[in-house]
This record gives sequence, C-alpha cells and structure tokens, in this order.
Amino acid sequence: MKEAIRNTTTADRILFLLLIIASVAGLVYTREAFSLGSDVVVEVNGRPVYTLSLDTNREIVIDGSHGRTVLEIKNSKVRMKEADCNNQQCAKQGWISRGTIVCLPNRIVVIVGSGITKDIDAITG
Amino acid sequence: MQLQDKYRIAILSAYALALHGFEAMLPSPMPWLRFGISNIITLTALVLFGFRTAMMITLIRVMLGSIFSGTFLGPAFILSLGGGLAGTIAMGTVFSISRNIFGPVGLSLIGALFHNAAQLFFAYLLFIQRIEAVLLISPVILLIGTLTGFANGLVADILIKNLLKKEQDSIQNVVQA
Repeated sequence: MKEAIRNTTTADRILFLLLIIASVAGLVYTREAFSLGSDVVVEVNGRPVYTLSLDTNREIVIDGSHGRTVLEIKNSKVRMKEADCNNQQCAKQGWISRGTIVCLPNRIVVIVGSGITKDIDAITG
Repeated sequence: MQLQDKYRIAILSAYALALHGFEAMLPSPMPWLRFGISNIITLTALVLFGFRTAMMITLIRVMLGSIFSGTFLGPAFILSLGGGLAGTIAMGTVFSISRNIFGPVGLSLIGALFHNAAQLFFAYLLFIQRIEAVLLISPVILLIGTLTGFANGLVADILIKNLLKKEQDSIQNVVQA
C-alpha cells in the first residue's frame, strides 16, 4: 500500500487535494446556505406567539408571565438581549443559530429551525 | 475482436460482477452509499487492455448485475448504467489524452467524480427534481466518492503492477502506468 501511494503522480495528488477541498468547501457552503430560511418561533406559555424569519434583523419585545424580554435577531442569529428575571440564564446563553433558548421564569421558549411549528404534538405545562 | 479478448472480457466481467455482488451485501449506513469496488476491475482493464475492453466489462457488469439483483430497467438500473458509462468514458478519455499525467489513482478519482456526477444528474432528472436536495447532497457524495475513489485507485495500482510483473508476455496493449 505504501508503494502504491508513492507511485501516485503529482497530478494524482493535486487532483485528490482539489477534490477534497472542493467537497469540504461545498459542505461548509451548503450548511451555511441552508441554515438561511429557517424560522424563529417564540412560544409563551406553550402557545406559539411569533413566527419570525431568521433572515431579517430586528428586535421584538415579548411579554412573558414574569415581565418583558427583548429578543434580538441579527445576522441569522438569535439572542435574548434583555430579560426581566433573576437568573438571566437565557441572556447568558448568547447568540444561537439553531436550537432553543428557554426562559423559565417568563415561560418563553425560542426555537430556531425550519418547519418546527408543524411537528409539535402536544405541549404540557 | 479476437478470441483471446473475449476470454479476457469474460473473466474480468466475472470478477467485476463478483465484486459488485459482494459490495451489495455489505452493510451501508445509507442505501446510495457504495464503495464502487468493481471500478477496480474496470480501471485495471482500461490500463492493461484498453478502452473497448473496459467499456464491455462495464456494460456486462451493469446489465447482469441488475438482472441478478432484480432491478433490471428499474430506477436503480438507470442510475447504475448512467454512472457506469460516464465513469468509464471519463476515465478512458483522460487516459487516452494524457497517458503519463495521471496514474491509476488519478484515473480512479476522475471515474468516481464522473460516476457520481452522472448519477446525481439522472437522479435529479428522473426522481428528485428539487435542486436544493441535489445541492445539499452533492458535497457529501463528492467527498465520499473522492475517498473511495482514492482507495480503489491504490488497489488498482497494486493489481496493475502485479499483473504486469507476472503476465508480461500474455498482456497485449500494455501501457506502462
């Protein structure tokens, strides 16, 4: 096997590297391209209140059961900018581009993903 | 076509078919993920015996392989045929244009690339028809194809070297790889 690797021509190696680079670049690019167009769903008390696009930068104020929280969407990422609660867990979580932010005192759940609202069977709580 | 060519094509086709069948039995995380090990035989035939032999082997392998696995003229057969033809034609063209630039590994990479490209094209044309899905899957296929193509190329290289060493007299149309 070692001998076979040594037998490869320069063109072979360049082609191999090019293909690897192209496919890895393609993987990264498609991941980026397809994270666009996903939704941000804000739920308060288990009910979807807002469905927002991840592509538009904006700030919205959400009335939770404890107080007001400010959600910021910027550059396809989401964060809880301010929260009126004691532990500030949601604000500390910072920017996310997928997954969830949960603010328990306010009963606010922010979900990032595409087509998520349709799949929820039931919400307890 | 001489009688000796026919024997050679028959034997190499049998090898390719055996590898093709063996590969179909290997467990695979995704149904479309294949190593393409029968391409080793196609590549060896191309380098040692020329394009026509390689093409005959590919056609026989695709036809008989699909008949044995019960997919003859089905969707999998169209993908297999398109991929096999594109890969063999690409390898043959590159080999005839530039004999000494690419070794078996490079040829195998080119074959894998065109095989996958043709399969994606036919899959898009006939079945998927959603360009996002094709774009999403193509880097994955390209990466896997490059890795398996590289491995196949190394095996073909060893095979070609050993065959040349042992069967120097009986191999016609020899081109030093």
